[in-house]
Amino acid sequence: MVVLNWLFQTLVAFVSTVAFSIIFHTPKREWLCTGTTGAVGWLVYLVTMGLGGGTVAASFFAAVALTWISRVFSFARRAPVTVFLICGIFPLVPGAGIYYTGYHFFMSDNSLALSTGLETIKIAIAIALGIGIVLSLPRGFFTLRREGK
Amino acid sequence: MQNTSALELSFQMGEVLLKNGAEISRVQETMERVARAYEIDTFDVYVLTNAIFATGVEQGVEHAARLKHIPSTTIHFGRIQAVNQLSREIAEGRHSVEEAFAILGEVRAIPYSRLPLAVVACAVGSACFSYLFGGTWRDALVAFVCGVVLELYLYWTGKRGLSKFLTNLSSSALVTLCGAALLLCGLGDNLDKIIIGSIIRLVPGVALTTSIRDFFNGDYLSGAIRLLDALLVGGCIAVGVGVVVRIVWLLAGGVVW
Repeated sequence: MVVLNWLFQTLVAFVSTVAFSIIFHTPKREWLCTGTTGAVGWLVYLVTMGLGGGTVAASFFAAVALTWISRVFSFARRAPVTVFLICGIFPLVPGAGIYYTGYHFFMSDNSLALSTGLETIKIAIAIALGIGIVLSLPRGFFTLRREGK
Repeated sequence: MQNTSALELSFQMGEVLLKNGAEISRVQETMERVARAYEIDTFDVYVLTNAIFATGVEQGVEHAARLKHIPSTTIHFGRIQAVNQLSREIAEGRHSVEEAFAILGEVRAIPYSRLPLAVVACAVGSACFSYLFGGTWRDALVAFVCGVVLELYLYWTGKRGLSKFLTNLSSSALVTLCGAALLLCGLGDNLDKIIIGSIIRLVPGVALTTSIRDFFNGDYLSGAIRLLDALLVGGCIAVGVGVVVRIVWLLAGGVVW
């Protein structure tokens, strides 16, 4: 049952990432890949959360996974990494954190506002580290074919 | 400008990349690759988030060029990819300068998505995210409506040339108002899930990601510019949403969602 729910959520993440690809004017032939990137990121996020990791850890591992797959797609499709990375990252961007921070801030709940604000920044840093680490790896990790074209 | 200058070509390709949201190192590499392919001597280029500085010696004459542009939020991956393709072909020596200019002209003319498609995409995206963040299907439905309103509003402000600051502030306030109104009419279940889904279109994911990439590539200045951008936009959204929630809360007589 849990697995079914995860699969359905992954599907929803796929659709939403494709929606964002359209907003950023990504060519139609890349939609399948951008959608997959987003879906993989969200699946890793769900699994990490399910295994008892917090949102920060989950965001980190999801960012690593989706940056990895972005680079694989980038070499396979000969397209810039940015295309897959930015579309795929959207499910992870802490929109919820921004909302709750604003909410508590204006409801005069200062301690909650501070803690959600810090949580949001932590998530952003986790995503940044995840992306940064994978982007700094040498390209040999990502080419499906052996070197030499 | 004469259409035979390779320096000008390299420069314009960099401009298209930067305007459509590429990261700094890509702009720089592409410009250098083109310059190398057409054998421009002593080519130097320095790129910032909102400017390109380039000099080079072409046919014995030294040219200097620079560009400033207003940081724009219109991301167009189709164009970035097309310029990328073009630069690869140039590096393989497949185009003369004139041909490359013609292709660049076509790249510039790649249209944006049509409005109805963008509206549907934004609405579907909002609904999906509302669901992913724990909303019910009723929440997703309301977020869908908010998404439609948001994209139409963004289109309108884009035409009016409203500042980025004001756009984010007002549009996040607008979607919150829209979501709250629909909730008070009896649609939807959780205000927070509806709004989280609806504001995802505004959230500075692009600025954040590009900023990270710039930082890790060693372009600290550009990274800092984009990071500030992300923080400001995030702050604007939080303020826009928070103020409206507070007002609605007061008007509705202190109901807590």
